[in-house]
Parts: sequence; C-alpha cells; structure tokens
Amino acid sequence: MAEELIRLKDLVKIYDTGALKVLGLKRINMTINRGEFVAIMGKSGSGKSTLMNILGCLDRPSMGHYYLDGIDVASMTSDELSEIRNRKIGFVFQSFNLISRTSALKNVELPMTYAKVGKKARRDRALKLLDRVGLLARCEHMPNEMSGGQRQRVAIARALANEPPLILADEPTGNLDTAASEEIMRLFSELHKEGATVVVVTHEENIAEFTDRIIRFQDGQIISDRRKGDGE
Amino acid sequence: MLLENMSMAFSAIRVNKMRSFLTMLGIIIGIGSVISIVSIGDTMRSLFADLYKDVGVTQGFLAIGYWVDDVRQSDYFTLDELERVKEVFGDQIAYIDSNMSTSAEAITKEVTVNFDFSGIDYNYIDVQPVEMVYGRYLNEGDILARKNNVVMDVDSARLLFGEENAVGRTFRTTLFGNVNEFTVVGIYKKEVSAFQKLMMGGQSDRGTAFVPYTLLTWPNDYFYYLHVYAREDVDLNAFFDQLIAYVANYKGREPEDMRMQTAMEEMNSVDTMMGGLSAAVGGIAAISLLVGGIGIMNIMLVSVTERTREIGIRKSLGAKTRDILIQFLTESAILSACGGIIGITIGVGLVSIIGAAFGIAVVIKPGVVILAVSFSAVVGIFFGLYPASKAAKADPIDALRYE
Repeated sequence: MAEELIRLKDLVKIYDTGALKVLGLKRINMTINRGEFVAIMGKSGSGKSTLMNILGCLDRPSMGHYYLDGIDVASMTSDELSEIRNRKIGFVFQSFNLISRTSALKNVELPMTYAKVGKKARRDRALKLLDRVGLLARCEHMPNEMSGGQRQRVAIARALANEPPLILADEPTGNLDTAASEEIMRLFSELHKEGATVVVVTHEENIAEFTDRIIRFQDGQIISDRRKGDGE
Repeated sequence: MLLENMSMAFSAIRVNKMRSFLTMLGIIIGIGSVISIVSIGDTMRSLFADLYKDVGVTQGFLAIGYWVDDVRQSDYFTLDELERVKEVFGDQIAYIDSNMSTSAEAITKEVTVNFDFSGIDYNYIDVQPVEMVYGRYLNEGDILARKNNVVMDVDSARLLFGEENAVGRTFRTTLFGNVNEFTVVGIYKKEVSAFQKLMMGGQSDRGTAFVPYTLLTWPNDYFYYLHVYAREDVDLNAFFDQLIAYVANYKGREPEDMRMQTAMEEMNSVDTMMGGLSAAVGGIAAISLLVGGIGIMNIMLVSVTERTREIGIRKSLGAKTRDILIQFLTESAILSACGGIIGITIGVGLVSIIGAAFGIAVVIKPGVVILAVSFSAVVGIFFGLYPASKAAKADPIDALRYE
C-alpha cells in the first residue's frame, strides 16, 4: 500500500460574498499518494483553482479536513500555514512569479532564506538546483533577461529548494509556447521518476497526458478520477 | 536574517534611486536644519561665554538700589570706604575701583579727538590683561599721587599723535572744569576676536585711555558704584552676599536696599535666552522631521501597493507575517537612517563653513547628533510601521492575483 501524502475528507469551501454564499467545493474526498503524478482538470469555475489554493495551503477549507503529510492543516493560523508552505510545498505558477530585479540564484535561495538555512548551504543548494534545470550558466541573470521557459525552470528549481514532499503546479505551461511547455512537462516527468509527488492543475488535455492520473472537476465536484492504464 | 533584510532593503532602495532620494529629502532637511540651528545656538552661547570671560566673569557692581526713594548722601561711596572694603575683603577681592569714566576732548597742537577716560587702579592689568608695547602701565605712585598720567591703546595713540609710540607725548583735556595737561606713560595692545569687534562696534573716531581712578573721583570724592572683581577661587554668590551685607550694615541700610549687578548673572540670563531661542527654532526645525516621516510613510505605502505581488510570492514561499513586516520596516528605517546621515553631514558641514567664514570655533555637541540620529530612526520605524503592517497582513491569494 502506497503512503498517503494528501487526503481530503468531506472538504467544503464556501465563498461568502456578502449577498450570497457560493459553494466553491462540495464535500470533496480525495487521496493522493506519495510519488504520484496527478493532473487536476476542469474548466474555469469548476473549482480547480479553489482546490489548488487549498492544496497549496494558501487558503483554508470552510469545513472538512485536509491532511497533508499526515498533518491536518484545516485549522492552522496563517503563520503556521506559511511554515507548511515553506517546508512541504513547492509552487510553480502560471506567471512564474519570480521576484523581479532579483537574480535567478537569489530567487531559488528565497525559500531557504525563510527556512533559515545558512548562507553557504543555501547558495550551494541553489546552484545545484539551477544546474539540475540546466540554468547554471544563467544563475546571475535577472528574470526579465530570460525566456518564459527559462523563467519557469528557475521557478521549478525554487520549488525544489526545501525538498518539499509536494510539487504543486498551477497551469505551469499557460504562458509558454508548445516547445517550452513540453520541456517543462518533461522536467516534471523526470522529477516524478526521481520520486517527487507532482500535482498539476491544468485545463489542457495534452498537458494532462503527461501525468499518470487525471482528476476532473466540474461545479465544485470530482466528476472523474482515472489512472493511466485504467482504460477509457 | 537581519543582514539578509538589510541587503534586501538596500537593493529595493537602489532600484528606485531618485524616488528614494526624494523620500529621504525631508529627513535630510529636517536633520540638517536641527543640527545646524542647535549648533549655531551652542556656538553663539560659547562665544558669549568667552566674551564674558574676557570681560571678567567674577566682576560685580554694587550700588544703592534704584528702587530706594530716599537716597541719602551716605548712600554714595567715598574713596575711604573703598579702602575699607578693600581691607575687610582683601583675601577675596582681586581688584576694586570706583567705576568712574568720563568723556572729554583731548587736544594737541595738531588735533582734537574725543576720548573716553576710564579711571582704574594700578592692578587693573591683573584682571584685564593687556600687552604693553611701549612704556609702562599706571603704577601705584600714579594712583596715590593723582598724577596726570595716561595709558592708551595703539589705535588711540595713532589717532591722537599719528604714531603708535607716543610715550612721553602730552595733550590737554578738561576734567571737571579744570584744564589739565596729561602725559602718556604707556601704550598697550589688546587682541580682540572678530566676534568681539562685531559685538563692541568699531569706534574708530574715538580714543580710549586709562587714568588713575583717584583723578576722576577727585575733587568731590563721592561715587555711585563699587566695582569689584572677586578672586577666581572665591564662591561668588557667598562673597557678593557678604559684601552686600557689610556695605548695607555700615550705611544703615537693609541688604534688600542694595543692588548688585554681576557679570555672572548677566551671562546666565543671556545664556538662558540664547538656549531658549535655539531650542525654540530647533523645535520648529524638528517639525520638518515629522513632515519627512510622513513622506517616508507615503512612499512606503506606494511601495507596498506596487509590490503586492512580490509580497504574495514571498508569502507563498513561506514568509511569515513577521518576515514581511521586518522587511518593510528595515527598508523605511534604512531610508530614514541614510537621510539622517546625509542630514548630519550637511548640517555639520554648513555650521563648519559658517564658522570658518567668520573665524569662529564652532560647537557641535555629540548629544545633538545622537539625538537627531535616534529621532530619525524612530521616525523611520514609526512611519514605516503602518505600511509594513499593511504589507504583512496581505492575503497571499489576493496578493498573488494582483496585477
């Protein structure tokens, strides 16, 4: 039996806009094991972004439980959630979200800075990670001096900085051309083969094809959950 | 982590050089003006203190109070009384005279010059040192014998005789209705600072000379003031009290009827006035620091809004509220500290330049500098607090979505 990394139990998210309450997620039950490569799919408004925010500990569920690596994060304070994000989650965003006017190296070092890793260790690891994504030569470059694909690889290196158990990618290829998209997805595949748990939120079928398991969302509910090899 | 924050803050400040400078400008002007104004005030105070030291801080003038209605003949002083006081307080008095002076025309064959004659005792040179360049000072014999001998300064000699070495030259003058011929026995020189000249005014068309005080109190022998210099080591207040009590007692007056004017008192009142003045003006200048602080708050608020996305990214990567708070606080503190340092440089530089221009030794108290720096740091932290807490409280999802 594979080890559980993510378990959602009767998870509900309600958006209270004042005038009316919107159900973002309706009693989600879902488990993702360590080492899985999962795509979460759905149209806009399907609830996949809401789920992504909750999985990323950026937001808290209204009801239910979210166990990440065995810890119930549903009722944590915002600073505790920061700590969890820092240690357990590596984010890759659609718009890269590198800090501008800051070198690739410094960007990769940032999560380790917040984890209070020593200066030397931080630098060594950041260089190793940039080497891993093939950007060692560009470590002193600023984000605006790099192509989209390169920026996204820096973001992936940054996501790996604190060796988090979960890599969470939100439309990671949304701003990239086809070649760069494939490059990024291959990088995720490699990371997955090296044992990382990767969850990709996307609306593109061809991107989802890279993964082993596709969870489809519609109207805040899971409508299908298929593994590769299950047969269509 | 502190160094980390400092380097982050410095790079953020460097990115917007012009804006950062303009932000600092308020603090620069505030600190610069506080330091220069307070230092100019302190410099003036020390100049006045020097001036009084020159005039003689231990001197005092004793007379019957102007508020006494029934002034009697006996309230005036005589030379005998002066001698008695000199005897009784001999171990405390450095110098005593009758404080008499008069203005009269000094006439030679060639010119007539208006002169101010001051009556002095032979040891006046001990309390008001001058450098004798020709001849001698007045001596005890001149005083006791009431000789028509004078000592004058080089400028007066040049004015009256057309030369500095006027020893042995004579002139005529009318004192108390009697025409007398006076002989110059000595010429002195006195160094005065530029500031003293400024304060005293240059009376280039008048001469000044010292004559025996026994001449000016002669023949009627009554005079209004006792002019004393206490010895340096004497407790001034105690001495003056004793003197007042003694004089009042033998004149059949109460000590309250006597008026004692002391240089010390005058100096203190000038000092208090100047201190108050520079504190008041410095206080007004400090208001500009407050304005500078508001400028910092304004820019930090703009900066927080501009960098909302950065804040979101940092939070998603694990920055806690405290991390963001400290980051922005460090930035505003560094802004105002840099402004403070530049302001100090400008303030100190300005005061030094002014001092150099007037040939004055400037007084810049380290306390003022320390106070100004701490104030600017406090301003930076205080006015940075609101923008920083605004940044720290940002919701990561909203912040990440911010364009």
